[in-house]
Amino acid sequence: MMINTNLYFNELKRYRNFFLAWSISISILIVMELAFYHIFMNEDLAKMMATFFENPFMKNMMTVFGTNLDVLTNALGYYATRSAIYIMLLGTFFSIMLAGRILAREEHEKTAEFLLAKPVTRLEIVWSKLAAFFTYLFLLSVMILVSGSIGLEIFKGESEYRLGAFVIHSFYFFLLMLTFGAMGLFLSLLIKRGRPITSVSIGLIFGGYLIDLLSKATRPASKFGYISPFKFMDSGVLRPDYSLEWWRVLYFLGISIVLIALTFIVYRKKDILV
Amino acid sequence: MCEMYVIETQGLTKYYGKDRGIVDLDLEIESGEIFGFIGPNGAGKSTTIRTLLGLIFPTSGSGSIFGMDIVKETKEIKKRIGYMPSEVNYYEKMDGQELLRYSANFYGKDCESRIKELADIFALDLHRKIIDLSRGNRKKISILQCLIHQPRLLILDEPTTGLDPLMQAKFFDILREENDNDTTIFFSSHTLSEVQKMCRRVSIIKEGRIIAVEDIETLRKKQLRKVQVEFAHPVKSDEIECVGIIVPRADKNNLHFMFSGTMDDLLNNLAGKDVKDLIIEEPSLEEIFMHYYSDEKEQNKEP
Repeated sequence: MMINTNLYFNELKRYRNFFLAWSISISILIVMELAFYHIFMNEDLAKMMATFFENPFMKNMMTVFGTNLDVLTNALGYYATRSAIYIMLLGTFFSIMLAGRILAREEHEKTAEFLLAKPVTRLEIVWSKLAAFFTYLFLLSVMILVSGSIGLEIFKGESEYRLGAFVIHSFYFFLLMLTFGAMGLFLSLLIKRGRPITSVSIGLIFGGYLIDLLSKATRPASKFGYISPFKFMDSGVLRPDYSLEWWRVLYFLGISIVLIALTFIVYRKKDILV
Repeated sequence: MCEMYVIETQGLTKYYGKDRGIVDLDLEIESGEIFGFIGPNGAGKSTTIRTLLGLIFPTSGSGSIFGMDIVKETKEIKKRIGYMPSEVNYYEKMDGQELLRYSANFYGKDCESRIKELADIFALDLHRKIIDLSRGNRKKISILQCLIHQPRLLILDEPTTGLDPLMQAKFFDILREENDNDTTIFFSSHTLSEVQKMCRRVSIIKEGRIIAVEDIETLRKKQLRKVQVEFAHPVKSDEIECVGIIVPRADKNNLHFMFSGTMDDLLNNLAGKDVKDLIIEEPSLEEIFMHYYSDEKEQNKEP
């Protein structure tokens, strides 16, 4: 048994409020965004947007954000391209912050001296804390799925969409958060005495996001896009052939597994200085 | 020899990059003893303890606790030990009760009655959050935390700092009780008098190396006193002659020196010399090291 249940449940309790605050905010935001879609369609704002899209500059700019009028006037399209911008940023930030703190905080707050004097191995510590992180990441993804499907059902109006496409999009989102979580976990180990990685996290997320935007905007930069995990997120939910692509899944899982494996290797032999 | 030591290290060395932690440490601590580990701040006491506990890894050398390797079998070792760090840092949002239960659960033992018993002895309110507790009260939580699961070995790193004398006395009583029940105690401190009260043997560490392992009795015989005598008239450094005076220094009417002889001798020598005031105190460890151990080492080098 690699998971110490005492430690696992304590970690769940320790981050319960953090999880609740973030997951509830994100869920509410998703429903609010879809409600805004409803207003957008009913108030003829969409027609105004049509004029907006006649301007070629604006049209190109919106392409950068992965959207166009057809997409914007569909409930799921609207969700996946417009709302997903901040929901994705918030979700990845939650993930990177949680994973970046869960292990390093023991060092930063000097409680490592308590924990490491208990009969628990280093590997058990990492496994138990990872398990707590996975639990909350999983729960957040479930909440995104539930609030998204409810919001879509209530506010879809006349638009048609595949619920399956929404599930696939949410699964990609889960993988994206997992990847950023793995980055946070590993980076937090490299920072001296486990200081919080807030600024690094913000840098990684916004940096990754901007790289992805730039790569979509200009052809010369398109190849660089692949250094950003956001590039591997597929938001083309209205495409008839929108499906789970294995190379994307493998990319997210591959990076996560490598970083988590490195975390185990480093933490096993790390001097814990408090 | 098949005698098993509770703690045994061989050439245990720890460098932090280029910085010295401990060098070539050989320790042999017998079962059931209260072993003192003294040295000034920065001498390497905490480094030794953290290496024994597996928080940090030795650069070279090896160590064992209960015959188990401190690097490879650290989990088994920790089932049998209680550790009290010099600075108490706990999960601040927990209250005392939660912390102690969390701690006890790691050992899979029901420690409720022991928690209650010890909390009563130390007059500790377990329902206040750690963040709201004073330093002394946090220290008490730390005492409970290291005792409740009935460990076979206690590792205490400067355990009395922040405790008032009354609590210190209670704490020492409990330690003696534990020791009577065959618990071995590794007692690290920078106060000699405290170690003298508790321990039979002490090891003295300075600049990362052990410079002496002594029986407390021997140490007591070598006991140094810091003496200041005020005379009615200006004095020179050789004002009095008595066996055991080390590095006398005159300052106007005052004479300062370290004294390792017998008090009776000293008083006889001072009698009738117009003494206005006499202050005899315990020297700090630094002073002992400066005047005694460093000198002795130098002298020992000469045949």
